Amino acid sequence: MKKKLTFKNFSIYFDQYLFISITLLSVIGLFFLYSASQGDLNTVIKQSIFVGFGLFLMFILSQPDPDFYKIFSSLFIVLAIVLMFATMIFGREVNGAKRWLNFGFFTLQTSEIIKIALPIFLASYLYNKPLPISLKHTFISLTLICFVFFLVYSQPDLGTGLVVFMAGIYILFLAGLSWKFIFTSFGLIVLSMPFLWNNFLEPFQRQRILTFIDPSNDPFGSSWNITQSKIAIGSGGMNGKGYQEGSQANLNFLPEAETDFIFAVIAEEFGFIGICVLLSFFFFILLRCIYLAFNARDRFCRLTIGGLSLVFASTLFINLGMVVGIIPVVGMPMPFISKGGSSLLSFYIAFGIIISMATHKKLMQK
Amino acid sequence: MIDLNERYAEKKSFFNRLVVVYVFFGFVFSFFLYQTYSLQVSEYKDYETAAIANKTKEVLVQPVRGIIYDRSGKIIVNNVPTYDLIVKASLIKSIDAFLSDLSPIIELDSDELDYVRENFDLKARYNRELIVKKNLSREEIAKFEVRGYKFPNAFIDVRYSRYNNYPELFSHAVGYVGGVNNDELASILNSQSLPQIETIFKYSNGFQIGKTGLESTYDQILRGKFGKKIFEVDARGRFVEEREFIKPTNGENLFTTLDIEAQQVAYDQMDNRRGAVVAIEIDSGSIVSYVSTPSFSTNAISNGISSRAFNALIQDNDKPFFDRASQGRYSPASTIKPAIALFGIENNIIDWDFSMEDPGYFILPEDQRVYRGWRKGGHGNVNLNKAMIVSSNTFFFSLAYKSDINKLIEHLSNFGFGAKVCADCFNPDKALLPTPDWKMNNLNFGWFKGDTVNLGVGQGYLSATPLQLAYYSTILANKGNSKELSFIHEKKDIKNLNIQLDNINGLDWKRLHQSMIGVIESPIGTAKILQELKTYKVAAKSGTVELVSTDTKEDYKIIRENEGNRDHAIIIAFGPMPDPKYAVSVVVENGESGGSVAGPVAIAVLNSLIDK
Repeated sequence: MKKKLTFKNFSIYFDQYLFISITLLSVIGLFFLYSASQGDLNTVIKQSIFVGFGLFLMFILSQPDPDFYKIFSSLFIVLAIVLMFATMIFGREVNGAKRWLNFGFFTLQTSEIIKIALPIFLASYLYNKPLPISLKHTFISLTLICFVFFLVYSQPDLGTGLVVFMAGIYILFLAGLSWKFIFTSFGLIVLSMPFLWNNFLEPFQRQRILTFIDPSNDPFGSSWNITQSKIAIGSGGMNGKGYQEGSQANLNFLPEAETDFIFAVIAEEFGFIGICVLLSFFFFILLRCIYLAFNARDRFCRLTIGGLSLVFASTLFINLGMVVGIIPVVGMPMPFISKGGSSLLSFYIAFGIIISMATHKKLMQK
Repeated sequence: MIDLNERYAEKKSFFNRLVVVYVFFGFVFSFFLYQTYSLQVSEYKDYETAAIANKTKEVLVQPVRGIIYDRSGKIIVNNVPTYDLIVKASLIKSIDAFLSDLSPIIELDSDELDYVRENFDLKARYNRELIVKKNLSREEIAKFEVRGYKFPNAFIDVRYSRYNNYPELFSHAVGYVGGVNNDELASILNSQSLPQIETIFKYSNGFQIGKTGLESTYDQILRGKFGKKIFEVDARGRFVEEREFIKPTNGENLFTTLDIEAQQVAYDQMDNRRGAVVAIEIDSGSIVSYVSTPSFSTNAISNGISSRAFNALIQDNDKPFFDRASQGRYSPASTIKPAIALFGIENNIIDWDFSMEDPGYFILPEDQRVYRGWRKGGHGNVNLNKAMIVSSNTFFFSLAYKSDINKLIEHLSNFGFGAKVCADCFNPDKALLPTPDWKMNNLNFGWFKGDTVNLGVGQGYLSATPLQLAYYSTILANKGNSKELSFIHEKKDIKNLNIQLDNINGLDWKRLHQSMIGVIESPIGTAKILQELKTYKVAAKSGTVELVSTDTKEDYKIIRENEGNRDHAIIIAFGPMPDPKYAVSVVVENGESGGSVAGPVAIAVLNSLIDK
């Protein structure tokens, strides 16, 4: 049960279900990371610091009243967009992509900030608009969503770009986007598919999709990853090979074992049973989010909880789908499990905000 | 502000929409679970196999070749250990530092240094061993043993070299081994159902294959079967640990019928003259001696020879690589006469009582052409026995003149002329038994009566290898019975090649042997010079191969100024009589006299074989 612990002058806002399940998931994640990094204690210690800091951040961010987020949401998104531009100019280039902003002690992946800022801003923009959302507001929202999407996409980072895009669309949809508009635009998108294919996808992205459709068509070897990932998962069988016994991960056949493909390591070492257990944590967290959304105090909170939890779920599904080979490879971490800084912290931030939305009640209701 | 109804509608819409999204997610999730289930449960076997295939790497382990023995069990070819300095490349941080530390102990020449520097990175990356120096000397080994503690990642290991204990004696009989090209390697591995993959070598020269002689003929038996080492490897192909070792099956040893002593005698007797000696154990048809001279060192060829020395061998006018024993073509000359005599008796053209006048030449009735004997004035009245002993050409010219050429050819082919006579010799030449068809096809001329006459004294187009002559000698000794020649006593697929001669009885054979004994023992015998060289009786027939036809001795003296024009000396012999055990043939190129030049070689070889 979400709690509000009241002391003399101030209250502490806290949801024990989310807090415990996320903490557990993070700790299990550390345990998996130890194996995926082939027993590299440094990696695990660094990750533990992020996890500890993340949990602290989650706690802190659940304290302010939702009105704080509502009021400052414009500021957040402006800040986030400024950071994106800063990245464009000052960012560190890795493998031809500029995604990181160096702060000396910490490199920030700025798209992770905007992934949260965008849905909150849209929720604060749409929460008082009458149903269904008018064409004008739809157009304004979509413009913003597309603008932000292109900012991320141009880094280039198609994976995160899609998540950001979906985050915006979720809010718009949950806030009451008219069905008429949905069906019309869906039809238009299908019709414009060839145009998008030719003008908006980089050659390597097109190749990934082609390879995905036809694995034998693989001039750049991008299906090596997915092949090795499938071998890792499949060879885990029902019960798995045992902790640190996964040959695919330990002998480096599995690429990106600590980040994008950590799920394959878990599947190899703990089998089908192991991943069912792991996924039940995620399942529980999502169910809890639905419950919290239903019981949120107002439309803004509902939209924010719904939107952020869907961002979380989408990230998870994109990661899982990619690792088992049902969608093309796009870089996408497994929330709370994969090694990472910004991407890991972004989910603690998101859940901090979700808890804030869920635990603050307005005494005076209309 | 939104009123309550609107607020309710909004909430309901939100729930509906959230449910829509989650239902969609539910489908996606189910599909994901289904996919995972099929990977991990339905298709588990396939992926397990794939994971194992990923991490295992098989490496072949070379077998050691079989040892080759002589007939008394003495080793002819052995595998001699050589000691190589080897490093575990992946454990060495700086190869230059290592080499400079090593230089006071073991010196490397610039080729060796280049090899190490070029290969170090690759070997280190894949955790493979790197051979730093091959064939360490005793001194180097001793030095390394003392100061080796400074080099924990280097060690000395045994690699073998194929080593012939008598490198020049058996160079043509046993042959040598050498490296293989890709096609040969593929076919060898294919015969053992193995892929062409990385191999751990037992020989410092890597893959070895018999190139000539017995090493080649019996390569499959000597070679052995490759073993396997199975390693766990990582994604980069680096060895992580050894999992399994299936030992190679070393090659079978080869017990030959060769006799080192007789071989040595034959080789010494030839004294680097161009020629060949082949000796046969009559009962079994086994080859006990097989020499072609001049020779070369098989060890040098197999284990390293400078290109200058190699070029010198290649360009040597005496052609040491040429196997004269099975590939040298020589006219049999007068050694053919016993076979012609048998033909005469078999076909009732002559008998032992028949005699004729030998004026020293034969005139062909058709065109009055003169065919000369070797002795001016001839041998007077000659019967078959005398004709054999004094080697009367006139007698055999006239006998051949009366012969049917086709029958004669068939008769000679039964004695191995123009035929394959050895089961396991390396690349034996069939030489030439000329026929009218052959002459028409190759020389565009019909067969003349004169050609048949020439055949009667083993001159003309007829040629034979020393191996064929030894086989012929064996048949004569064994009264028409013979086996295909072989280097291996127990060889299973040996053919019996007995000759059917209906008209020849035991007495005829005895008389023939007597006449051949007379070649040495008679005071008028062409090889009487050999009488004192032995303590038992030997049957023989000498021959002198005319390379340039001359009418007078004076003419010959002129042409013999050029060594290459001199007659070849040739002899076939068998003994001890009357129950011969060994047959031998000797050819000495440009040796001039069959009896006095080739003869002593033959007798020396028989002596060494029979004295045992």
